[in-house]
Amino acid sequence: MLAASACESARLLLNSKSPRFPNGLANDSGLVGRFLMDTVGLSARGHVPALEGLPRYDTEGYGGAHLYMPWWAWEKQGELGFPRGYHIEIGGGYGMPQIGSFHGAVRRHGIGCKLKENIRKEFGAFVDFAGRGEMVPNAMSYCEIDPHVMDRWGIPVLRFHFQWSDAELKQARHMEQTFAAIIETMGGRVLTPLTPPGGEVPISAGGEIIHELGTVRMGTSPRNSALNPFCQAHDVKNLFVADAGSFVSNPDKNPTLTINALVWRTSEYIAEEMRKGNL
Amino acid sequence: MGDHFILSKELTRRDLVGNLALALSSAAVPISLEAAQHVHEAAAREKEAQGAYTPKCFNPHEFRTLERLAELIIPADGVTGSAREAGAPEFIDLLCSQNPELAAIFTGGLLWLDAEMRRRHGAPFVEAGEREQIAVLEGLWEASGGTEESKPEPAAGGRDRPDTSLSPGVVFFNWVTKLTVDAFYTSRLGIKDLGYTGNSSHSKYVVPQEVIDYAIKRSPFAGG
Repeated sequence: MLAASACESARLLLNSKSPRFPNGLANDSGLVGRFLMDTVGLSARGHVPALEGLPRYDTEGYGGAHLYMPWWAWEKQGELGFPRGYHIEIGGGYGMPQIGSFHGAVRRHGIGCKLKENIRKEFGAFVDFAGRGEMVPNAMSYCEIDPHVMDRWGIPVLRFHFQWSDAELKQARHMEQTFAAIIETMGGRVLTPLTPPGGEVPISAGGEIIHELGTVRMGTSPRNSALNPFCQAHDVKNLFVADAGSFVSNPDKNPTLTINALVWRTSEYIAEEMRKGNL
Repeated sequence: MGDHFILSKELTRRDLVGNLALALSSAAVPISLEAAQHVHEAAAREKEAQGAYTPKCFNPHEFRTLERLAELIIPADGVTGSAREAGAPEFIDLLCSQNPELAAIFTGGLLWLDAEMRRRHGAPFVEAGEREQIAVLEGLWEASGGTEESKPEPAAGGRDRPDTSLSPGVVFFNWVTKLTVDAFYTSRLGIKDLGYTGNSSHSKYVVPQEVIDYAIKRSPFAGG
């Protein structure tokens, strides 16, 4: 049972070479390490004057604003120009003051009573939007064994290749335009820099959202996948991968619950196969 | 054994202040309120035990200048006292005593500030009039890129290291305003000023009706 996290599981398999498995264990398909994915991320922040002077109350707790917006535009998918969707995590409220909380206020308001009054007025009048979207797996994004670099135990490490496709770039652009439209509709001002026409959209870097997955993909055929639908290696019947390596798509939501669901199914499958004497 | 326990607690406390001091010039902000409160508590304990705080990094003149700067950056008003009353000079002194890089920025900056005020008015900063003091600071604010106009903020989480291409006065201005504001709003006084209620326990999360009414009344969709 391999559950070392998607990339580390791929690394262990790729490093486990033998005469039977010259490309690495359970890698007859040559697909181990391939179709690496991460979640698409983009954030925006706005100042909303209508929220100034709002009576103070406790807004702490999970997610700041206690708001979450699942993907809403699936019916308009054809018009959007990109497949799949994203959700929005919304932040705001009277966050705990920290070191750095008001550095931007000095830049905007200078010093003195003016600064103090503005910080008081603006406290709680900022909103944050974080988009988290689904990536379509592509052939340009993968990890492989680095032929030159080893870890401190002398074991070769991975090197990564990562590229967003047009689908993710368009999705990120849609996030940015949506967040800006919400902020402006509330009568607010977008504080994060907006991408100029033709400019590069500030999409997260691959790996930044730390949802790396998809490197030991599942499928129905040993030709196009390393694992069967129960996360059992096609080539090695007593080998299972129980992390996000099996994913063939990247849900916009955090992958942990999907990993748990797949592990549950794998466990039931293992129990059943053992009862039948197949394992 | 009791003494040994107190000693190790003391070292831990100093480590906490030291860690924050080093993080300030190397890590990205924000840094937790808890880290800042260790610094406030260290200063408060010293005041309680010895009746007064003795600066560890700055000489009396430098410390007096920091006190004056704290009054100018966050003055007392009808709501709360100044950053000086909130312990900003002690906060800065304790942190600088644990980070030589930070200490050099502040001691160098304070020298620059006196030299600039002598050049303009023939007196060190603390002896000049309030109008003259504010004029120097306003000039540094403008030179540091501060502006009243709507300007996008830099991306969150960026490293905030001093830009050595700026004059020492501007580098100092950026640091003294940042740390004074940090000290004030992480102190009891600053938290009271903001009206931050803290994180309390609730059986369910409910937004008070008066808050909803206020927001709806001020919404761009109000009265529609």
